[in-house]
Amino acid sequence: MAFERSLTILGAVALIAACSARSDAGEEKPKPALPSQIEAATFGQKSADPGERLFGRECAFCHVGRNTGTIMLQRRLPEDVPAQLHQRTDLSADYVTAVVRNGLINMPAFSRAELTDAELAQIAAYLAKDKSK
Amino acid sequence: MQSSPLPTGVGAENFRAALAAFRAALGADGVLDRDEDRAAYLDPYAFGEGLDHESSGILAPAEVAEVQEAVRIANRFGIPLWPVSRGKNFGYGSAAPVRRGDMILDLSRMNRVLDVDVQQANCLIEPGVSFFDLFDHLWANDIPLWMSVPGNSWGSVLGNALDRGIGYTPLGDNCDALCGLEVVLPDGDLVRTGMAAVGKGATWRNYKHGYGPGWDQMFVQSNLGVVTKAGLWLQPEPEMTASVEIAFPNFDDAGWAIDILADLRRREIIQHNIVFGSPVRAASTLTQRSEWYEGEGALPEEAERAMMAKYGLGWWNAKISFFGPAYMVEGNMRQMRELFEARLGTELKFRTWHKGEPYEASARGVPSTLGLQSVNWYGGRGGHIGFAPVMPQDGAQVLAYAKRVKAIYREVGQDYYSTFTIGRRHINNVSLILYDRDDPASTGRANGLFKRLVVEAAKDGYTEYRGHIDYMDTIAQTYDFNDHALNRLNNRVKAALDPKNIIAPGRNGIGGKK
Repeated sequence: MAFERSLTILGAVALIAACSARSDAGEEKPKPALPSQIEAATFGQKSADPGERLFGRECAFCHVGRNTGTIMLQRRLPEDVPAQLHQRTDLSADYVTAVVRNGLINMPAFSRAELTDAELAQIAAYLAKDKSK
Repeated sequence: MQSSPLPTGVGAENFRAALAAFRAALGADGVLDRDEDRAAYLDPYAFGEGLDHESSGILAPAEVAEVQEAVRIANRFGIPLWPVSRGKNFGYGSAAPVRRGDMILDLSRMNRVLDVDVQQANCLIEPGVSFFDLFDHLWANDIPLWMSVPGNSWGSVLGNALDRGIGYTPLGDNCDALCGLEVVLPDGDLVRTGMAAVGKGATWRNYKHGYGPGWDQMFVQSNLGVVTKAGLWLQPEPEMTASVEIAFPNFDDAGWAIDILADLRRREIIQHNIVFGSPVRAASTLTQRSEWYEGEGALPEEAERAMMAKYGLGWWNAKISFFGPAYMVEGNMRQMRELFEARLGTELKFRTWHKGEPYEASARGVPSTLGLQSVNWYGGRGGHIGFAPVMPQDGAQVLAYAKRVKAIYREVGQDYYSTFTIGRRHINNVSLILYDRDDPASTGRANGLFKRLVVEAAKDGYTEYRGHIDYMDTIAQTYDFNDHALNRLNNRVKAALDPKNIIAPGRNGIGGKK
């Protein structure tokens, strides 16, 4: 399993922040280190982009670093698609909005009390943005 | 499919009039009654779709005055309200009410950290503040105070404390860290408890008990009011921390190991609630069941041994941390080595942190949702419930009980997942039951196992301290001294304060369901 191969365990559940994947030739290629739990919890806190700040507040605790959203997506996505949402380049704002409002498999839906439509639009726009520019 | 239920005993026309009154008081943003709104409040861990606990709508006040007005209107129209701080009480029903059709009173929009007193190590917060919100506030403002965090940090700090949730650092008995509540009573009146009842609350967060009877516990795990603010104690940042993960190789090690760890906890040498967990606890966070075993029935012993070998786990695994001045923490480390290294035949490997170093190496409580990963164990849409009886701090009794429960798990074909949480004078044995929501065989097994564990624990006089919405009456019935005198008292108080049964009917078996 890709997930299993890329995971190193320290003690019972301690996790390292770096992982690796095999190339076609079978050699280990280092992957960039994942953010630490503190970096995930405080992601986007100082960003000038309100969409990134909101993503950091409402989504990053699952979808940044070695967290539940990252792990579950890593199991489902092809190896060349990043499991951390902020690194994705294939997300549309409509798709993000639909998943957040309806939930997806193990991800619970977000209510409009927890996240207003205006806030969700900012998050969706941030995730759909072409981050290569 | 949802079916737009009405609150119990309320006709459609009356409900429409009530919604109009709620909208006039709370504004359009404060009343959510579209189908997609109601769907967002279904329990994401329910057996099946969770429609047996669907609400008729949601009220989302932004201010205390709006909570008061919502409660008054609810009384006028006879609309029961199920208050939730953030609705993330996963494994206990999440935001869903006991009774189908009751409205949810969601306090998520009341999410302000109102004050942090750095010198006196406390804060004043609203119920919508999540563990992440409070951590962000402390972090962003470089405040040298640490907080207790539970396994699922998405939820509310106050909601967790009010359901007697726990964390695993000092001040981790979250309910005990509360200091002074502000509460909207079932008639809409506003009361403050403890020193918060004095003037503007100059000593609100300094002393818990005030003068005369202390009512704080009346609003914990109850339906006698809606908590809208609370003081909370925080931990001053220590000079040093040290953490160690201890793997106990044999099932029977639980007996002697729990006796030693519980003694250290009673003496406050270990200052935090200790988790002592079986291999599936760790493996379900890291992997899925199919990576170990794809057959029917409970995991075979070989699969459990394979997890232990791969991850360096024991049959039981405990993480212990120490906090304080260096001379104390170093002394604690010495004592731990003397107590465990010879018995286990291995060296304890501590991770240490000194003030000023990056926090990643510290034992500071950092909020996380990683533990939620366990619901993906069986694949599909997963969920969990837990049966967690309170037990004495006696290793032999705990071990005997664990053996019986493990045999029951095996008999019904459920993977054994157990943790013993060691508190200040008690042990809480969490038998976690993972399932696939969409597999009736899996949910049926979970339901049957839960009920069987209630009966099994009762043989020793043990029972739950907290309950899922489906089992609140079942658990309340186990508190049976003098023909359930405690439940009679609860219901007498309920009838006096909330004669129309407006606040959370059925919560913890109080107020009935009719």
